[in-house]
Amino acid sequence: MSLDIGIGLSTEKDYSLAAKEAVRMAGMDMVSEKVDMAIVFSSRDLSSIGLLKNIALSIGGEVPLIGCSATALLTPHGIIKHGVLVVLLSIPATIQTTTAYIQELKNKKGTEGGRELADRLLADFKETRRVMSLVFADSSTEDAANLVAGMRERLGKIFPILVGSLSGNRQPHRTYLYFNHSVLMDSALGVLWGGKLGFGLGSYHGWKPLGKPRTVTRSHDNTVEEIDGEYALKTYEEYFGTSAAELRKNFRIISMLYPLGISIDNEGEYLLRNAVAIEENGSLRFQADIKQGSIVKLMLATKESCFDAARRAAEEAKRNLLMGLANESSKTLNKRVVFVFESLSRQMLLNKDAAQEIKIIKDVFGPDVPLVGAYTYGEQAPLNLGSYYRDTVHFHNQAISVLAIGG
Amino acid sequence: MSFLLVIIAVTAAAAMAAMLSIKMETVKRLQINVNRLKRSLDEMDEQAKLIVRTDMELNKVQQELDKRTASLATLQKLSRSISGVLEVRAIFKGIKASYLQELGFDKSCAYLWNEREGVFLEVLSIGYTEEETAAITQYINSKRHGYWEWVLREKPFSSISKQENKFLKAEEIESVFKTTSFILSPILPAEGSKGIFFAGTANPEVAITEGDEELITVLANQISQSLENARLFERAWTTQQSLEKNVEERTHELTVALDEVRKISKRKTDFISSVSHELRTPLTSVKGYASILLEEKLGKLPDAAKERLEKINHHSDELVHMVNDLLDIVRIESGKTVMKIEEQDLNGIIATVSDLIMIQCKNKNIKLETDVQKSLPPVMADRNQLERVFINLLGNAVKFTPEKGKISVKAKRSDGAVEVAIADSGIGMPPEALTHLFEEFYRVDNAVNQQVKGTGLGLSLVKHIVEAHKGKIWVESTVGRGSTFYFTLPLKQ
Repeated sequence: MSLDIGIGLSTEKDYSLAAKEAVRMAGMDMVSEKVDMAIVFSSRDLSSIGLLKNIALSIGGEVPLIGCSATALLTPHGIIKHGVLVVLLSIPATIQTTTAYIQELKNKKGTEGGRELADRLLADFKETRRVMSLVFADSSTEDAANLVAGMRERLGKIFPILVGSLSGNRQPHRTYLYFNHSVLMDSALGVLWGGKLGFGLGSYHGWKPLGKPRTVTRSHDNTVEEIDGEYALKTYEEYFGTSAAELRKNFRIISMLYPLGISIDNEGEYLLRNAVAIEENGSLRFQADIKQGSIVKLMLATKESCFDAARRAAEEAKRNLLMGLANESSKTLNKRVVFVFESLSRQMLLNKDAAQEIKIIKDVFGPDVPLVGAYTYGEQAPLNLGSYYRDTVHFHNQAISVLAIGG
Repeated sequence: MSFLLVIIAVTAAAAMAAMLSIKMETVKRLQINVNRLKRSLDEMDEQAKLIVRTDMELNKVQQELDKRTASLATLQKLSRSISGVLEVRAIFKGIKASYLQELGFDKSCAYLWNEREGVFLEVLSIGYTEEETAAITQYINSKRHGYWEWVLREKPFSSISKQENKFLKAEEIESVFKTTSFILSPILPAEGSKGIFFAGTANPEVAITEGDEELITVLANQISQSLENARLFERAWTTQQSLEKNVEERTHELTVALDEVRKISKRKTDFISSVSHELRTPLTSVKGYASILLEEKLGKLPDAAKERLEKINHHSDELVHMVNDLLDIVRIESGKTVMKIEEQDLNGIIATVSDLIMIQCKNKNIKLETDVQKSLPPVMADRNQLERVFINLLGNAVKFTPEKGKISVKAKRSDGAVEVAIADSGIGMPPEALTHLFEEFYRVDNAVNQQVKGTGLGLSLVKHIVEAHKGKIWVESTVGRGSTFYFTLPLKQ
């Protein structure tokens, strides 16, 4: 027996009808009648215990369920603002999974939360080869970085983890996490996969460096005080030829469209960092750490470079998946599913063309491979093919991460 | 030895000096290269600044364009949703939360001024709880005079409004309506209730632009137009309802009157029928006894008595004829006469009747012409009754046509029927006579009628016969120039 996967989408307004329809559609995709796990993404308006209970009821039994609410859902039909996506998995004995969650994430110190989540995931995990972990966190991205670091302390330093960080620093709405019948906040939850699961991960952003390199001359944690010996905001003042007061008015948009890029040795890529606030002294506060001494550049993207990043992420995920699948026959016969986690800020640049990225990913995997996903506020993922073997899981702003699993 | 050492030292010093010079030169060159590189980097950075600024401008324009395009598409959907609606509440129901979200607003409400109560009434609430809606309604009505003044000024007001307004305070509105930015636009139908349309967002990251203000103004105008259409429709509908009611009342009155007429007509028919029957019996006796006396079966009669008896006989015949005509009319009217409707060749009937009437024509030297369209199809009629029609009409024509006059009989196909026209060059009739001509006992007041007696039932009988055949009869006439009687008969289907 191999992995069996079905996905269902419903845009019904009533959560009970939506749950039933999505599960029914997912079931129609499956050969197996046995369901071992459900992954659920829904719009915020449908977030409720009722939705989760109705999903369980429609499945016909209690199965581990994880998921989250999102500003918009990524579906094979495009981007949908209202609805529920259900992924049902029938898992063979050769693949092992466990799910776990932790609460009160904000109260966890340093890497404590990550360690706790990993311990819970490992508690029921048998002596099987661990493969990867998918985590959703209702956390700001700096907390998500600590979460990953903590998990890696337990799961291994070269262990691939994809974290969808679901709360923006200036996000106007709440995000909810789903675990079995519970709707959680200020939490993190995840699934740990082991055994003969094939997976592939690709994550790119598409922004390109511009201008001369600059050095972060003073910073602590996620606050950059000085760049090239001047207050940090001056870099933006110079590039945009405008005053601090003017910059403050539109800084959210400016920092999303023109983030700073940190050059990473050996990877030929830049990590993006959005500034989320301008401090009184002209320091810039970012979503994640920028170490003192980092070489940074202003970054710029076009729609085409974003589409190219989506294509590269999909191709890389597909290539990795095929490499990871056990044998030749499983490369063509087995079912697979593609999860896409995309930074909400990309929508700002792509606007009405945002759905084009979904089309590009579909083109890479083919029309028969189901695709589901959600908008996030940033992801933690390895940057490219081999990077997780080199202990470099990075926080991404504005990236598109593609995770393909099969087995 | 010491000399040699000196030479070596000097040589070494010279070599060192040379090396130093070379190094100095290298450092200098490197410095030049570094400076060049630094300049290039600075130049590149300046170019980057230009690129960034241009890109930002382009992004801004693109975003505004994308937003406007999307907004216009949404506005079109909204317009479609409300423009075909002709009921006030339904118009506002057409403004869906999803459309407003597409336009970038998550809260909206609308109020219409109620003239009778002097307050604004809520007609739309999106994104608010019942309590919040009630609080906003209370706020608006507490400042209704200010809002009414603003509505009459016909200008929108928003968080980015340039114009000052002494009645409206942006911060107060943002607080009461629970938004971070908003647009208020007056609803101004040509007639009827004016009002307020509000759209806002609680998302601090959404910035309202002048384009948004224009968009909401267009939407408010569309609402105004729909309200105007609804008002006009309601007026038209009310008028139509009133008209329909009037027509219904009149129809009822007419039905009652018609029933009454039918009842009277039946009573008249019954009366005539009864009287006619009652008259015919004694008349038969009178005529019988007169005949016995005239045949002198009871003894020889003096000439004077004979002459009187002949008059009795003659008048009795006239009376019988009249009673028979009356009875025929009554029978046709009441449907008691069974028409033997068959295919009839009109040519044959006209020829037969013409032969009958020819003697009278010759006596008065009247020219009788017939003109029947070739290949005229057969008509559906009772032959005897149809002959009575021709005899009556031709008889009248002869009667009212002076000597050396002319009578014509024409028949042609016309609109699925056959139209017959009997024209004479007689004395004609005045227009006022034509409307009564087919009434029973009506006789035109002219010299001929004063001399020649008649019952006044002939044309009435003709009309009844034609109508019993589902035909029509009418007349055209000019005094001194003659008359033409037309009638139609249905063709065989």
